[in-house]
Amino acid sequence: MADMGLIAIGAGIAVGLSGLASGVAEAGIGAAAVGAMAENEKLFGKGLILTVIPETIVIFGLVISVLLWIKME
Amino acid sequence: MLMPEKMNRVLIVGSKENMKKTIDVLYQTEAIHLVDFPAEEQGFTLGQPLTEASEASQKLLKLRALEKDMELTEDGCDMKVVDACKLRSECDQNIKELDSKLSVVVEKRVQAQTRLSDIQNDRKALEPFLAIDIPIDLYKGYNTLGVSSGYVKSDPSAQVRQASADAEVFASKDGKFIAAFYPKKDAAEVVKALMQNGFVEVPAPNGTGLPAARMKQLDDETVSLEKTMEETSKTLEELRKDYGCAVNATDEQLAIEVQVAETPLRFGATQHAFIIDGWVPESDYEALRSKIETETAGKVNIEVLETATRHESHEHDTQHIELVDYGQKDVAPTKQANGKTVRKFEYLTEMLSTPKYNEIDPTVILALTFPLFFGLMIGDMGYGIAFASLGALGLSKCKSPEWRTIATMLFFGGLWATFFGFVLFGEALGMHFGPVWEGGATAAAYPYGNELTWSYIFHYNLPHIGIFSKLVDVKMLLFISMMIGFVHLALGFGLGFYNKSVRFGLKHAVMEKFSWIMILVGGWFMLIWLIDVLIQPIAWMGFPLLQYYIYIALALILPGTIMAYLGEGGGAILELPGLMSNVLSYTRLTAIAMSKAGLALAFNTLAFSIIIDVSGTVDPVMAIIAMVVFVVGQLMVFILGIISAGLHAVRLHYVELFQKFYEGGGSKFDPLRIVRKWTSEKAGE
Repeated sequence: MADMGLIAIGAGIAVGLSGLASGVAEAGIGAAAVGAMAENEKLFGKGLILTVIPETIVIFGLVISVLLWIKME
Repeated sequence: MLMPEKMNRVLIVGSKENMKKTIDVLYQTEAIHLVDFPAEEQGFTLGQPLTEASEASQKLLKLRALEKDMELTEDGCDMKVVDACKLRSECDQNIKELDSKLSVVVEKRVQAQTRLSDIQNDRKALEPFLAIDIPIDLYKGYNTLGVSSGYVKSDPSAQVRQASADAEVFASKDGKFIAAFYPKKDAAEVVKALMQNGFVEVPAPNGTGLPAARMKQLDDETVSLEKTMEETSKTLEELRKDYGCAVNATDEQLAIEVQVAETPLRFGATQHAFIIDGWVPESDYEALRSKIETETAGKVNIEVLETATRHESHEHDTQHIELVDYGQKDVAPTKQANGKTVRKFEYLTEMLSTPKYNEIDPTVILALTFPLFFGLMIGDMGYGIAFASLGALGLSKCKSPEWRTIATMLFFGGLWATFFGFVLFGEALGMHFGPVWEGGATAAAYPYGNELTWSYIFHYNLPHIGIFSKLVDVKMLLFISMMIGFVHLALGFGLGFYNKSVRFGLKHAVMEKFSWIMILVGGWFMLIWLIDVLIQPIAWMGFPLLQYYIYIALALILPGTIMAYLGEGGGAILELPGLMSNVLSYTRLTAIAMSKAGLALAFNTLAFSIIIDVSGTVDPVMAIIAMVVFVVGQLMVFILGIISAGLHAVRLHYVELFQKFYEGGGSKFDPLRIVRKWTSEKAGE
C-alpha cells in the first residue's frame, strides 16, 4: 500500500505533537507545583494531580495514532 | 477495616489532687486525642502546669546550656537504652558532676580564647613598629616630650627639624613609617609639619622591650595558648565520650517530664477541679475508663459525650462557617484501622491527604492495586525478582517510614512483576524464554528459533511460556488495560457510593455516584460496540447480542447523565469526556510495559548480536564488550522501571481512582504519648 508511510508519519505526528503540547502545559504547572511544595511539603499530592492533568492531551494523541496504525494493517 | 476507627468524644472531670494520676494514665494508654480547652470559656481558666514543670524546665535549661558548652550532637552516640527510673534518681548528681568538670574546662577555654584574640590585636598594633628599633616602652610616659608615630607619604624630617630644633625623627627603611620625638611646647608646629607630609597616626602599643623581642614573646604565648585550646578540646572530647550518651538520655527524660507536666495547659480548670476534653477510639474507651477508675479509686469521672457520627447534612455551607469558628475542633480525628502490612502504604495516602473521619481510608485499595499495576507495567521475571529482593533488603535494613514504604512497594510490586513475567509475558530481562515465532522455512536453519530468546542464547530448547508478547500483541494489551481501567474506576465509584451513602444518605449516593457507575458501564458497552463496528469485528471474543450494545449503552448513559446532572449540577456534563480520558489513561499500563520491553530488546540485541552467531562460536574480546553493554543497558532499564512504573502507578491511583471517591483533609489522630529514643520506662514492671 502506497499510503502506508504517510499513515505512519501521521501516527508519529499525532503522538509527537500532542506529547509536546502536554510537555509545554505541564512545564508551567510543574514549576508552580514545585514552588508550592517548597513552601509546604504536604502539597505534593495535590501538586502531582494538577501537574499531570494535561497528560490527557497526549493520551488522545496516542489513541489517534493507534487508530491510524490499526488502519495500516 | 475500610473506615477509620469510630471515635468517642470524652469528658474527664476530677478534683485537682487526682490530676497527676489521670495524666499518667492518659500517657500510658496512649488513647486520647486532646481537644484544647477554649480559653474564653466562662467560669473556667486554663490549667496550670504541674509543680514538677518548673524544676524540670530549670534542669533542662541548665543541661541544654551544658550541651552547648560541650558542643554535643546527637549522632555518634552508640548507646544502649537507659532506664528512666535510674536516670531520674541520678539526674541531679550527673548534672552536678558534669557541671563541675565542665566548668573548669570551659573557663580555661574561654580565657585562652579571650587572650588569643587580645594577642591578635597586640600583634597587629606592634607590626608597624618592628621597622624602627626603639624599645616600645620609650614611646610613652614623658612629661615634656611629645611623641608622634605613624605612616607618612613623604619624608618629614627636614620640616620637623625646622619646626622644632630639638626634634628627632626616626624612620623605617622604606621611609613610610616614622616616629618623631619633640619638646611638648613645639607640638603644634611639629604636628602641622607632619600633617603636610600626609601623616596618619598609629598609637604606640603596650609592652616593654624591643619590638622584635616583644613580637617573639607574643608568638610564644600564642603557641602555648593554642596548646591549651587543643588540650581543652581533647578534654571536651573525652567528656563527650564519657557523658554524651548520658546527657542525651537525661535531656530526653527531662523533656518528657516537662511535656507531661505541662499537659494541664490544654485542660480546663476551676479552683479545685480540672476538665479534659478529647477524642478516644471506641475500642480503647473501656480500657481507659476502667484504668482511670482503678488508679484514682473512682474519684475521677469519665463519660462519653457523643460517638462521632459519620453522617453530615448536605447543606454544608452553613455548617462550615460554624466549624471554622470553632477551629475545626468538633471534627473527629482519623485513626486509620489498617493491619501491619497495609499500614506501610499509609505514607502514600498521607502524601495526598489524611482521610476524613467519615470516609473510606483508601490505603487498603492502594495496597492491593498499586503493586498489581507496578507488576503489570514491569511484567518481567528478571526485573521482578531483582525488585523483590531489593524490597526485601530495604525492609530488613531501613528504619525511616519513607524508605520502608518504598521497600514494601518494591517488594510486592516485584512479586507481581515476577508473576506476570512468568505467566502472562513469559520473559526475563526483556527476552522470552523459548522461541515464539518460528518461521516455517527457517526453522531448520535456526533450531532454537530466530528470535533473541534465552533458548537462542544458550542453545537449549526452553519451552515457550506466556500468553502475550508485549511488542506484538499491542492491540490486545491496550484493550485489556482499558478493561482494567473500567474495573478500577467502577471500584472507585463503588467506594464513592458507599462514602456518599454514609455521609449524606442513599439518595445523594444514587444521584452522585450510582449515576456515574451507569455511565461507566454504558461506556463499556459503547466501547465494545465501537471496536466491533469501526476497528475490527470482535465476534471472536464471544460477546452475545453484540448488535444491541449501542442501545444498551445509550439506555445507561442518558439516564445516568441526567441523574448526575440533577445530583451534581452542570459540571457533571463537562466531566463526561473526562471519564473517557480516565479510562484511556489506563492504557499507560501497556504503554510503559511496551517501552520497557523495547528498550531492553534494543540493549539485548546490541549486546548479543555482536557475539553470538548461529554456529554458537564466541569471540572472548567481543564477549567482554557485550557483557558491559548488557549490564549497563539492563541497569538503565531497571532504574527507569522504578521511576516510570512507580510514578505512573501512583498517578493512576491519585488521579484516576481517588478522584472518584476520596476527599481527604481529615486531621490525624494524635494521642498523648511519650516517644522515647534513648530511655526506657520500666515503671510497670
